Amino acid sequence: MKRILLFTVLVLALLLAACGQAAATEPEACKAEFGCAVIKKGETIKVGYSGPMTGDYSQFGIDMSNAMKIAVTDFGDVQGWKVEMAIEDDGGGAEGGAAVANKLVSDPTFVAMAGHAFSGATAAAIPIYEKAGIPMMSPSATNPDLTTKGSKVFNRNAFTDTEQGIGAAKYIFEKLGVKKLALMHDGSDYGQGLAKVVEENFAAMGGEVVAFEAVTPGESDYSAPLAAVASKEPQALYFGGYNAEASVLVNQMEQAGLSGVIFFGGDGIYGKDFLAKVGANGEGVYSATLVPPGTDPILKFNQAYLDATGTEAGVLSAYTWNSYDAVGALIKAINSVAIAQGDVLYIPRGALVSAVRAMKDYQGIAGVITCKDNGECNASGPVFYIVKDGDWAPAE
Amino acid sequence: MEKTNSTSAQNKLRVERSLRVFAGVVIGVFLLWRMYNVLAVEQNFGADTWVRFGLSGLILGGMYALIAIGYTLVYGIMFMINFAHGEVMMLGAFGGFFTFEALRFLPAPSATNPGLNFLNAHPFISIGLAFAVGIFISAVSGYFLEKIAYRPLRKAPRLILLITAIGASIFLQNFAMLMFGPQRKNVINPDILDRSAGWTLIVSDKAVLIPYTGIFSLALSAFLMIGLYVLVQRTKLGRAMRSVAQDKNTAALMGVDVDDVISKTFIISGALAGAAGVMWGIHMGLVNHYTGFLPGIKAFTAAVMGGIGNIPGAMLGGMALGVIEAIGPAALGIDFQLKDVIAFSILVLVLIVRPSGILGEKLSEEKL
Repeated sequence: MKRILLFTVLVLALLLAACGQAAATEPEACKAEFGCAVIKKGETIKVGYSGPMTGDYSQFGIDMSNAMKIAVTDFGDVQGWKVEMAIEDDGGGAEGGAAVANKLVSDPTFVAMAGHAFSGATAAAIPIYEKAGIPMMSPSATNPDLTTKGSKVFNRNAFTDTEQGIGAAKYIFEKLGVKKLALMHDGSDYGQGLAKVVEENFAAMGGEVVAFEAVTPGESDYSAPLAAVASKEPQALYFGGYNAEASVLVNQMEQAGLSGVIFFGGDGIYGKDFLAKVGANGEGVYSATLVPPGTDPILKFNQAYLDATGTEAGVLSAYTWNSYDAVGALIKAINSVAIAQGDVLYIPRGALVSAVRAMKDYQGIAGVITCKDNGECNASGPVFYIVKDGDWAPAE
Repeated sequence: MEKTNSTSAQNKLRVERSLRVFAGVVIGVFLLWRMYNVLAVEQNFGADTWVRFGLSGLILGGMYALIAIGYTLVYGIMFMINFAHGEVMMLGAFGGFFTFEALRFLPAPSATNPGLNFLNAHPFISIGLAFAVGIFISAVSGYFLEKIAYRPLRKAPRLILLITAIGASIFLQNFAMLMFGPQRKNVINPDILDRSAGWTLIVSDKAVLIPYTGIFSLALSAFLMIGLYVLVQRTKLGRAMRSVAQDKNTAALMGVDVDDVISKTFIISGALAGAAGVMWGIHMGLVNHYTGFLPGIKAFTAAVMGGIGNIPGAMLGGMALGVIEAIGPAALGIDFQLKDVIAFSILVLVLIVRPSGILGEKLSEEKL
């Protein structure tokens, strides 16, 4: 009985304290939709990241979160409060995406999301952040549909698959002079979406699409679908997907009767990891990416990345620099809306959502971030790379 | 009264059976019609492409068959599905991979080429060593798997063994992931087994490459299967195994050491899985902790299709499944991503018509 009484008193005291404080000092901005995140002295502001940290695609998650940790060391101070990355593993899929989003929004100090990494997980997570008023800035979710659903919170500084696909189709048709193109994809939101865009645009330009095949992701033998593609005698093969499958395809192309056929991949295959898996078979493979040429801020970041992780930037994935920018931009937006009052920092969530959407001319290391009304924030387009002498080099 | 009951039960059985056959025939006719359409009317692919499909199916089928034998052997003797069998194969694949890696960094300079490594200086020894290490690791892990995970539960209901097996599978997978990391590793073969080298076959004026690695895998799996058949049919151990499979208690009364036979069965099935794993690495070129899972499931399917508990059935089922997976989507004119749908539809079809599998015998009361 005594214990229950004590407990009740404690709870009441806590409630009173909380109410009293809020009522006494809460700024006007917190009365708007979604309220405020209240960060006390000693607490950190949480910026989330979620991607595959384990499994076949783990290199993406590990790489992007490393870059983000560097961004937090560089920019992570909001009026005296520290920013901390809350890094979660969603495996890249829709179920994981929704689970992570639900977990993150339950944390009251979580204010913004630099993710998710994969389009599938992102699509599942958007409605949850929408309800909680969490602005997103994804460095790598490139599926075109994500910004067409009228979401207020979703933004990305990745270039879209549409943009990339149109660019790739044009490059293949005009620069490479390919008239017969075969397409393959891994059935994912990202891969299939990308392949569809390339297919439509290539056909619209007057090229002939001879095959459109899907493969089951995660397998180590694609010789049968490759043989089916080979029978159509394409001049080039475009693959929408990631490097795990792309490396198997590239390694088996010659066996399947596709020797001499140009392999063209999306941004999902760019990176040193792909080169390691394909070896000499990779010569002449094309890929699109955002990797910018080495300017001073990039070289400085690359050094910081190497010091922090022991790996060179860009070895694991091509989204490193974008990830750094996404977190930098989010922190800038947080800084612009946060209100410090004594020992408490108030971050009005509604205002933060608008501030991220209104982002203009943020100079990141990978490019300029200027958000359009639909949440497309990448102002620069894709660059095409080719494997030459065992390394990626900018294509002509 | 009783008599009428039994006749009505018999009638019911007969109706069920004819219904099953009817369903089987309908689906079969539909599939044949679809195949006819694709092959004779649409003619999507030339003969060379079909040869390629068949080839990749046979190679894959050989490996499935080797793994399927492991399932069938264990089932035949213990009436349990060893779901960790795919993981035993994965450990073997890692054994082969690490052997190749170690030999690649072992210098073996010759007079003409000072930069030569052991892997290319003695390719046959290297391949032999890789198989020896892979088979050894798998056989040992098969032995300890039985000893640690299954033996204490020998008298427990079969369902519990099944759950233990799934647990062991998850454990081994995660163990390998933590030990070796989640990324796929490149298996670098000796130059003589280069993956894009092989004989060229001319089919309707087009060159079809028959990769050395594929022929090597196919030949080796055929050799191992024949070896196993001889072992089971002609040796003393084989006779003991067959007797334990028939009736454990009677076999024990006749002086067969049942525990010993079961241990040896796990060693043999592990060794076969290890050989399949090393082959997988050599032919496919990529190995990670997940390598064994899908082939394991497929091989289990193959074993059921051929009639679980029956060794020639497992070989037939494995080969059939490999070929169906490679040819099926093309023959039915559907997407390659749906190859598993076809494989499993065929499985259902086989089980509808012959519930005990293609070569399976009717299970006795005792085995059920």
